[in-house]
Amino acid sequence: MLALLSEISLAQNSKPSTADPAASAQKGITLAESGHCRQALPVLKKSALLVADKNLKLKAGLATVRCAITSDNRDAALAALQWLNREFPTSPEVLYMSTHAYSDLSTRAAQELARTAPHSYQAHELNAEALEIQGKWDQAQKEYEAVLKQNPEVPGIHFRLGRLLLSKPNPGADVAEQAKKEFVEELRIDPRNAGAEYILGELARENQQWDEAVEHLSRAAKLDVSFGDAYLGLGQSLISMKKFSAAIEPLETAVRLEPQNPAAHYNLATAYSRTGRKQDAEKEFAIHRQMTQKEPQDAPQ
Amino acid sequence: MNGCFTRRHFLCGLVGTAGALGLHQIAGALPAFAYPFEEVPPTVSGITWKHTAGKSLEKYLPETTGPGCAFLDYDKDGWMDIYLVNSGKCDFYSPNPPLRNGLYRNNRNGTFSDVTGKAGVAAGGYGQGVAVGDYDGDGFPDLYVTQYGHNILYHNNGDGTFTDVTEKAGLAAPGWSSSAVWFDYDNDGRLDLFVCQFVEFSKEKSKDCRSGEDAKRGYCIPHLYKPTASWLFHNNGDGTFTDVGKQVGIAGPRGKAWGAVAADFNNDGRMDLFVANDTVRNFLFMNRGNRFDEIGEQAGVAYGADGRPRSGMGVDAADFNQDGWVDLFVANIDHEMYSLYQNNHDETFDDVALQHGIGQATRLMSGWGLKFFDYDNDGNLDLFLANGNPDDLIESLHPGVSYREPALLFHNTGTRLENISATSGPFFSKPLSARGMAIGDFDNDGASDVLISVNDDNPVLLRNTIGAQNHWLGITLVGRKSNPDGVGARITYQSGDLIRTLTKVGGGSYLSSHDPRVLLGLSNRQRIDWVEIRWPKPSGLVQRVTNLPIDRYITIVEGEQKWK
Repeated sequence: MLALLSEISLAQNSKPSTADPAASAQKGITLAESGHCRQALPVLKKSALLVADKNLKLKAGLATVRCAITSDNRDAALAALQWLNREFPTSPEVLYMSTHAYSDLSTRAAQELARTAPHSYQAHELNAEALEIQGKWDQAQKEYEAVLKQNPEVPGIHFRLGRLLLSKPNPGADVAEQAKKEFVEELRIDPRNAGAEYILGELARENQQWDEAVEHLSRAAKLDVSFGDAYLGLGQSLISMKKFSAAIEPLETAVRLEPQNPAAHYNLATAYSRTGRKQDAEKEFAIHRQMTQKEPQDAPQ
Repeated sequence: MNGCFTRRHFLCGLVGTAGALGLHQIAGALPAFAYPFEEVPPTVSGITWKHTAGKSLEKYLPETTGPGCAFLDYDKDGWMDIYLVNSGKCDFYSPNPPLRNGLYRNNRNGTFSDVTGKAGVAAGGYGQGVAVGDYDGDGFPDLYVTQYGHNILYHNNGDGTFTDVTEKAGLAAPGWSSSAVWFDYDNDGRLDLFVCQFVEFSKEKSKDCRSGEDAKRGYCIPHLYKPTASWLFHNNGDGTFTDVGKQVGIAGPRGKAWGAVAADFNNDGRMDLFVANDTVRNFLFMNRGNRFDEIGEQAGVAYGADGRPRSGMGVDAADFNQDGWVDLFVANIDHEMYSLYQNNHDETFDDVALQHGIGQATRLMSGWGLKFFDYDNDGNLDLFLANGNPDDLIESLHPGVSYREPALLFHNTGTRLENISATSGPFFSKPLSARGMAIGDFDNDGASDVLISVNDDNPVLLRNTIGAQNHWLGITLVGRKSNPDGVGARITYQSGDLIRTLTKVGGGSYLSSHDPRVLLGLSNRQRIDWVEIRWPKPSGLVQRVTNLPIDRYITIVEGEQKWK
């Protein structure tokens, strides 16, 4: 990426090419389309920035990315993607291309990891994550366990295991307890894992263990002050305990952090309402109502 | 609270030992009345009527939402008869031969006879539910049938026949009506009528909803249809009604109403109204005398805890914890859990469904007909829930969720509601597309029986086999100054160390109407010391009655000291 950027910068600072940049760009595009990426890339690199025509500039940029990916020139691909996204931030074509290109680059990096360090815990971890996404829960669990066998103190793995257990369809009756153990273990290894504190808090909330929920969710919010859901869960727990005044502060924070979350507004409205702040409550109820009452249109589905 | 009927505990113990002894051996040894409810098959009851939904490839939404049912004593012979609502002709359905509702007369021997034709209550439109009330105070219960299209008011002529007086009464209420509730909102001693409206719907407005990998057409989520205002009709006392919805604030907020129940939630002597809406917030209309204030949000009954509207369907109201304030129950759809709203005595409620195990038990279920009643006559209000998912494709979309679902029974221990479905017999594992549900003692043994109307199937009649093994007193209330059915009356009674208060609410359940008599459970106590009736306004009379019998039905007339 840096290589291409520096080349681009150099191109910007150097004298304009005597050749017609539009013609050069078009030539590069044609070369790229006919599969001659090795020849196309240098031409595109030089001409893309100098082209005045927006449409041609876009085409040249897209062709650069395609060619860079095809010829496995990752630096060039990344630099071109960055440039394209800066020049055409809302272009659907650019966004579409970016999605595929980043995905491709990610796959190649994963293949590289598998080739160079197949037995590393990072390889197991990556494999586990992929299996988890595919819904292959048992296989993913084995991979995470393999990571822990190799390196029992790696942060994040117990957290992922706990989360996996809770995500599994048709879990056993004791799944929450098993998951809880994983989160507790995670916090032993990494006491700053706000996510683990949060899920422990939510599990406690589900079991109406309000004191425990408040403890965990308070810690989660303290560890990550931008964790809106932690503040929301804390406020909801306090409401369940009928500690309406105490619930106001975390809920106000939740609303500030996540202004688009209807649950935050609803719970804050409830806390205001139960503490006699009727006007504030009505304001929050109104925001919540606006968010939740979107009327269907007449158009058929 | 003590003196609980002990058979259930005996059964629980028995089930506990089943593993060791072998279930089949125990089952063989069990007496026939071992479980609290037993099904009365159509071959025994004579109720051969069947609901036809008219299910089409187009999947019109009303096909999956009915029907309702009622227990009523239409001929005033002291025995509960049965009314069943069917689908019928409308803009998207034209059954041939035509369908009809069913009125079954109680033969007083556990069987019923179809008298629909003679009574003249076949209806014929696309029926949904029924509400029973004596709107003209002539002593005979009248029928209000809700339909998709327009509704019907059948006036009971007192001679076994009815007359369709809808037009004169002004109660057609066009649109898609669901539940209806008779109650006296203005305390003038006459029953007014609230009619739930669901959504703006017609054949043309029906939407094409598809889901799953093969894009099968299914029933749409109601979110896709526009909400609409419900109706409140004031009883003018001359056989006509006036739509006062806008005037008193009921028709302001637009909802998608399925279930409604009228009760005095703030003990101010005026009947309030709770309305369960589907995919929009629930409404709690507090009666302020000359208008209703909708306070569902502030009261904490409008949404789930996450602030999202749920799919409210069946509802009921009762003071289940005997603190003197009426609580609320709302059944929702799968993945939403049902709600048990405990009254905080200040026009706010807390959802305590999780604390009572209701949340966990109903996490994947969808509930319609439901009722608080004391099935074992131990003096505590238990809870019966009839369930079934409205989407017949649900099993392919959501693993773990069933289209047909079993009913649930919660026993009130005096301190909490306990899910006893698993130990209450085979009926509670039988999957049904249950919709309406009515409570009534059809065999007059003092034990509340259950009638469940099933979508596109035969209704289910359940006989209560254990309630009569405790002592009880059944009361018919007859209002004179207050409304004729005594809706809104509070009945307090003492039997030794047992003091209980029951409220006669308006409506409750889903599309259905219940036995109007009030059953007082005494457990094993041999006498009842007194019964005190606080009649609804305009009289507001507090009437204490003593020297009462037990294990029979009596009538208490407002202002008359001696029971009949």
